[in-house]
Formats: sequence, structure tokens, C-alpha cells
Amino acid sequence: MKRIQLGEFEEVVLLTVGVLHGNAYGVTIKDEIEQRLGRGVTIGALQITLRRLESKGYLKSKLGESTESRRGRPKLLFEITAYGRKALEYTKGSRDELWNALPKLVLKLK
Amino acid sequence: MKRSAPPRFILRFLKWFCKPEYHTDIEGDLLEFYERRRADAGRTSANVQLFRDVLFLFRPGIIQSPAIHQPLMNNGMIKSYFIMGWRNLWKGKLYSSLNVLGLTFGMVCFLLIGLYVHDELTFDQQHLDANRIYRVITHERNPNNGASTVAAAGYMLAEESTHAVPEVEMTTRMQRAGRANLVDPENPVNVQETVTIADERFLQMFDFPLIEGDRRTALKEPNSIVITEDLAMRIFNRADVLNKNLQFSHMQTPLKITGILKDHPHNSSFNFTSVMSESTQYNEGWFKEQTENDWSSTSFTVYALLKPDAHAPSVAGKMTKLVYANEELEPGWELSLSLQPLKDVHLRSEGIADGARNSNVESIPQGNPLYIMIFSFVGIFVLLIAGINYTNLTTARASSRIKEIGVRKTIGAVRGNLIRQFLVESLITTAISFVAAVIIVSLLLPPFNDFVNKQFSLFTAASLSFWGIAIALIVAIGILSGGYAALLLSRFNPVALLKGLKIGTTSDFSVRKVLVVFQFTVSTVMIIGTIVLLMQVKFLNNTNLGFDKNLMLVIDVNVGKARSNFEWVKAEMAKVPAVEQVSVTSRVPGEWKTFYSVKAKQEGSAGEHQIAYAIGADKDFLSTYDIPMLDGRNFQSENDSSAILVNETAAKMLGITPIAIGVGDQVVDIPVIARNNFFTPLFDDVNASFNPRVIGIVKDFHFQSLRDRIQPLIIAYNNNPIQPIDYYSVKISPHDIPRTLEKLKSIMVKNDEREPFEYHFLEDQLALFYLEDQRNQTILSWVAFASVFIACLGLFGLATYSAEQRLKEIGMRKVLGASVVSLISLLSKDFVKLVFVACCIAFPIAWWGASRWLEEYAYHIEVTWWVFALAGMMATGIALLTVSYQAIRTALVSPVKILKSE
Repeated sequence: MKRIQLGEFEEVVLLTVGVLHGNAYGVTIKDEIEQRLGRGVTIGALQITLRRLESKGYLKSKLGESTESRRGRPKLLFEITAYGRKALEYTKGSRDELWNALPKLVLKLK
Repeated sequence: MKRSAPPRFILRFLKWFCKPEYHTDIEGDLLEFYERRRADAGRTSANVQLFRDVLFLFRPGIIQSPAIHQPLMNNGMIKSYFIMGWRNLWKGKLYSSLNVLGLTFGMVCFLLIGLYVHDELTFDQQHLDANRIYRVITHERNPNNGASTVAAAGYMLAEESTHAVPEVEMTTRMQRAGRANLVDPENPVNVQETVTIADERFLQMFDFPLIEGDRRTALKEPNSIVITEDLAMRIFNRADVLNKNLQFSHMQTPLKITGILKDHPHNSSFNFTSVMSESTQYNEGWFKEQTENDWSSTSFTVYALLKPDAHAPSVAGKMTKLVYANEELEPGWELSLSLQPLKDVHLRSEGIADGARNSNVESIPQGNPLYIMIFSFVGIFVLLIAGINYTNLTTARASSRIKEIGVRKTIGAVRGNLIRQFLVESLITTAISFVAAVIIVSLLLPPFNDFVNKQFSLFTAASLSFWGIAIALIVAIGILSGGYAALLLSRFNPVALLKGLKIGTTSDFSVRKVLVVFQFTVSTVMIIGTIVLLMQVKFLNNTNLGFDKNLMLVIDVNVGKARSNFEWVKAEMAKVPAVEQVSVTSRVPGEWKTFYSVKAKQEGSAGEHQIAYAIGADKDFLSTYDIPMLDGRNFQSENDSSAILVNETAAKMLGITPIAIGVGDQVVDIPVIARNNFFTPLFDDVNASFNPRVIGIVKDFHFQSLRDRIQPLIIAYNNNPIQPIDYYSVKISPHDIPRTLEKLKSIMVKNDEREPFEYHFLEDQLALFYLEDQRNQTILSWVAFASVFIACLGLFGLATYSAEQRLKEIGMRKVLGASVVSLISLLSKDFVKLVFVACCIAFPIAWWGASRWLEEYAYHIEVTWWVFALAGMMATGIALLTVSYQAIRTALVSPVKILKSE
């Protein structure tokens, strides 16, 4: 199997798209990340990550409807693909594995 | 809700760099944010944030790649233009080679003339601050002698204007004090050089490139001298002579060499070979005396470096005021100063005497702006003629390309494509011609350099601007000459083209006619110009000057003893068998140095003193130069030292009546003398004057160039207060001249061992007057030849084409019984008519131009009708020959061959 490796921000974006199921496009994704994680996201960074994830096959996109405030420009709605979900699962699995291997003592140390 | 749009440029910027497939939705997102932010934080803040976002989007991954930006289509078309252009040129080999040949010829002429003109126009531009350097010109007017304009000014003016006039940044003084022997004390060989003296700022203002030495200090110390590499080589045979000693033969102390200069480039007005520091003279009593109150003399060439943005006329005004504030001018005298930009010194110094030099120093050579103008026009016209050829041939051949154009248009070529197609074709032709022209020019350059006595090279850093201009002009010619054809041919309606396969060309043909007329007008003007120039130069060289110039050897007097001991030298020279006559004079006819002038009037007559030239001559002068006496007698002995001869013009001016001469009671009053346009009293006592008797009148002779009318001339005896003798004129016989020279030299050296033996043949010296004319005549005749040749190439092309077009018609005519002669005249008539029209236009233009040029000469030929007739016949004849070759060929073809195919 091809190595799956998600960057931290990639993972965040991918998960957010999942969270926003059906209504994930540039604006909502940015809002969601900023609200939930309390961190600023530039449009440039976000867009480039979205496109990268799409080109790797983790995301797929389709043109959605437009609103007045967008002046007729369609939304580009993103959705996680099966491969994307696999990637997320793989990432989570590998983290869990590491968590499980962590000696309990270490966690108690504060 | 009224929605306000974000600044357009931001979105445009996004659109420009963003990948098109990402663009719409990203822009949508941005707009959505924008709306929200505007509602929250106001417009300005939203704009700023939008701008920030867009900037963050400007990153790889979102920026589109350049390859995608260019549609492949264009590359393909451009390639196709070249392929098709090349094929078309190849298909019409005859016409293409006519075009290339014509353009090449035109460009060769243009480049050579361009090099010459460029060189003349960039005179004295080598200096870093050249456009801020000005030469001070003194305009003087006094109650008696009218006005004089001299490129010189006073010592104190240079000294003080830096302080008194804020716009003046620096001034420097230069003097050419005379000619003297410059010797290396360790190895004395006499080298006769001009003594140039300049102050320490001279090398700071002008960037004469120094090989060795420090330009700030080189001319600071007394007894320093800076010499050029060339002079160093002549004296020492090597160039690394810094700190060695040199000595002028008339000076006591040796001079230390403090700098070696590179030789002057050809386009420099400065021609000194050595510069002595002015401070050398500071300790001399006379120098101080002469300079400390010298505000208005014309003893120094003064250059001023102005601050940037200074207004030269107002600075000159302030300088004039400065002179008036410091010196009381004598009553009736007026003086004003002006500043001449350094770049004008070479070409725009007409009427300005080159001042601050001893009369035995030659003035700096001047360029002739008239010739520069003529040459520029000629160069551009030749290029134009070549361009017109191209236009004519291309439009004429349009009909053979009708099918091509029609099909292209039908398939979908828009007008722009066709225009580009034609332009590419013409640019290919121009480019080929240009390369050929550059190769030819580089081959022709060495002989051309010899001929115009310049040192051009095609590829130096200095000529970059020249190349820029030349290439721009040539591209322009390419576009212009191809442009008309392109516009014309792309205009037609494809349906009409393909249906009738011909175009209504009446209007187009008339343009072509106009162009041919233009070509031949220019060519005819050039032919006439060349003939006139040729005749005038011949006239100048063959005119009887009124004296014998053949085999006249003129030896300069350069050492004191050659002057004081002249009787002995003369006697010795006369013993040499090949020497026919010897005479000593202060100046010789056809002189290359300054003639002294005096003011004279007949004693007792009313009226003003008038200006006349004056020379001193011994009793053998008239017989040596074979100048006839009209009246009275020649000098006889030392008793004649207060006697003078006058020429006819002077006799008329002074009112000398022939009858009274024998009596010797007509006395002339000569109070003042001018060595450099500036009259000063002849004797120390201002009221004293020279009052010689007139003892004879000689026939007028041309003692100056034929550009000038014969001026009044007073010939004083060799022992006179005006000017001492300066030359031996030796009339020799033609056989074994080298041996005669050797003998004469040995006499001179025997007289004084420091004698450098400087001699000239008078004939060569006189030819120098007209050297430039002769040179220009040759250049012009070549260019005229080239322009006629190019125009004929074009005509040949047109004739060939029109004959091809009318082949069928001619076949029919022949079948019906037309004679060969009538066919030839049918084919040639049209073209010859055009040449006739061209002649009619050319004649008045040429007449005007030639008369204007001839006005420069006081003695010149008249422009007669037959010059025009000759030129007209030449133009028509050449055109007829060109055209009739084609006409005859066509007329002789058997009609069967032409007509069988249809």
C-alpha cells in the first residue's frame, strides 16, 4: 500500500470537511477551523491545502449553488472520498498505536 | 441593499496570476468574506484584508504556469510566417535577389555615411562632463575696426568667475604660445612642437585619458609637462617616460614629465601633443604684469564647467558684467561674452576665430555643417530608395499572389495574419540584406578609413549608440517598405479575389508611379550634385592663382640663426644647381598659418583706416613666384625697408594712383596690426605709426583659398616692423628632388645644427585647402552611383514584371503584325515618362542646392544648362537601358511559345 502521510494542517482540513458534511467550501471550512480550534487560517494556505488534498485523491469537489454575496460565483463544495476516509483512519490508527505503546508512567508525570 | 464592489485592481491581479480553473470559486469565497467584513468592520478594513488575502494567494500552486498562458496556436503561426515567408522569397528568386541587392547597396552606403556623420556629430563628447563644458567667446566692438569674435578671454575672468558667478563650477585656461623645438636633453634630436600651456585644472575638467601620472597634480608644479604617448614614442622611442626631463629649446630650465596622455581620438577638437603647466610662468615678471589686470584680453582660451541646470546665456551675461565691473574699457569699446557648448566647437564655430594662439600655430580644424547635413540627407535618401524598391516590387507582384491571399482569407486568415505574413517576409529580406551589408562594410572599412582619414571601427563600445540608431532605422525601413504592401494586399475581399483573380489596381499603380518618380528625383539630384562638385573641384585645382606654385619648396624658419643669417643661406642655396630661385618671406601665398593684418590709409587722405593683409618679402619674391608688376618698381636694396608694394585690390582701396608712383610721394599710414583678429599698436609708442612709401603695384594673386575673394595685400620689405621673415621659398627644377632636398638640408643644418628642416611643397599645401571638397566629391559620386544603381534595380524589377504580365498581349500584337520596335517602345514608354517627370522635379531642387553650396566660394563655376541636360540624359538613358533590356527580350519571344498554351 502507498504510504499515507498527512500533515497536521492537512489532517485538520480533511476532518473539518468531514464535519461540515455537505456544506464544506472555502468560507465555511475557514470559519469552522477558526471557531473550533481558535487559530487563524489564511485563505491562501487553506486553498492550497484543499487543492493538494484533492489532487492526492483524499477530497473530491463539485460546483455548488451561488449566493447573492458571491455575485454569481459558484461555491466549490468538497467531500471526503473513500480514500480520504482511509487516510484519516490510517492516521488515527497509527496515532492510537503509539498512544497504546506509551508507558502509563509517562502520562502521569505532570 | 446597495453593494459596493471591492477595488477592481485587486481582483484583476488575482485573475492575472490565478490558475483559471481555480479562479471563479476562490473569487467567490473572497467576495463572500469581503461582504461579511464590510458589514462588520467597514469598507477600508475589508479592502485591506482582501488585499492581504490575495497576496497570500500569490504562491506556487495557485499561480498559473507560463506555458499554459501562451496558446500553442500563436507559436505555430509565427513559425508558419517564417516558413511561408522563406518559401515565397525562394519562389521569386529574381525579385528577391533584386530586393536584397538593392537593400544591401542602400545599407552599405547608409552605414558608411552614418559612421562618418556619427563621428562628426560626436566630436568632443568623450569627456564625462562634456555637456556642461563651455568655451568662452569674446565679442568685441571698437569705434574703428568694427567687430571681432574670438574664442578667447582674459586671465582674470577665468580666475575670478568661479567665485563671482555661482553657476560656474570650474574654469580652465589654455594657451598655444607658439612652436618650438622640444628636446630630450640626454639625446638632443629636434622635434618641432606646438607649445601648449594650461593651468592645473585643465586635466580635471577634461577627461583626457592618462596612462601614467595623476590628473590632479600633473600640471600643478612649475616646470611640469604632460605629453601624449605618440610624442613620447617620437622623442624617446618608448612610452614609459614618467619623471624624465624634456626641454623647449627657447627655455632655460628643463621640464619634468608628470603625465603621459593617450593619443587624442579622431573625433576630438584638441590636437596638442604636450601641455606645459601654467605655473611655470608664474615667477616671470612679465607674466604677472600681463595677467594681473587682464580682464578683457584674448590671450587665453577659457573653458568653463557650469553647474547642472545652469542657464548658459545668463551665466555669460554675468561674466560680461564681471568684466565691466573690473575693467574700464576705452571709450567707444564694447565687449560681450558668450558661452559656446563644447559639442558645438567642431561644427558650429563659423565666424569664431580660434584665439589664444600664436600666429604660427594652425587653428583647430573645423567640420563643415553643410556637408554633414548633405550627407545625412543623402544617407537617408539612399536607404529610402532601397526601401521603395521593395514596396514597388512587392505591390507589383501582388496579382501573382492573389490566389494565395484569397485562399488564406477563405480558410480563415484575418487581416492581421496576412499583414504579419507580409511584414515577416520584408523583415527576412531586410535582415538578410543587413547581414550582407555589415559584412561588406567591414571589408570596405580599411580603405574607407584611409580615404576619409578617420579611424572607424564597427564593433567598439563607443559605437553602441550608432548601432542602436542604425538597427532601429533599418527595422523601420523593413516595416515601412513591407507595411504598405501588407496593408494594401490584405485589404481585398476574398470573393472578388478568387472570382476575378485580379484586383483593381489603378490607385495602387499611381502610388507606385509616385515612388518611382521620387527615386529618380533623388538620383538625378545626386547626379547633378556630383557633376557640379566635380567641376568645382577641378576648377579650384586648375585656376590660375596668379603665381607659380609648381615645384615650390617652402622651408620653415624654426631657429633664430636661420632668420638672422638669411643672406648667407640664400646665397648658399642659390649655388645648388637644381635651385632656380630663392626668396625669403614672412608668409607665403596659400599660407596655412595666420596672415597678419594691418590697418592702413593713404597719408593725407580723408576717411577711416581700412584693413589689409600684410607680408614681408625680399626683392626676389616677385621673380621667384612669377608675380607680374603692373606699375612702379620692385624692391632693390636695404634702402627700401620703408617702402612697400601693394596688390591691385589694395591700391584701389588706398586710392594709390599709378602715375604718382614713380615719384614715390604716396605714403601709407599703418598705425596698428592684428595677429589674431585683434588690433594693437604697431610700436610701443601708441601714437607712432609705420609710414612707408608705395613704390609699386603688383597684379592680384590668390594668396588665400579660392573660397575668399582676393583681399587687399601690402607687401613690405623683408626688413620691416610688421613681421620678420619666416620662410624660404625655393623654386627647384624637377630632376632628382631627393638629392636637392638633401643638399638644402645640409645648408640649413650647417647654418644652425639645431635646425629641424621642416619643409612643404606649396602645391600639396594648396591642395589641402580643397582636400575636404575632393573627398566629399568622391564620396558623393559613389553614393550617386549607388542610388542610381538601386533605383535601376527597382525599375528593372518593375519592367520585368510588367513584361511578364503583358506577355499574352504582346503575343497577340505580334501575331497581328506589330514590329519589334513598336513593342519595345510600348513597353518602355511608361517608365521613361516617369523618369522625365522626375527630372523636371529634380532640376530646380538641384539648381537651388548647387547654388547654395557654390556661394561658399568667392570664385566658382556657373551652373550651366548642359549640366542639367547631361544629368537628365544620364538618368533617362540608364533607365531606358534597364527597361529596354526586358522589353527587347519580351518583344523577341516567339508568339507561338506564348500563345500555344491557351
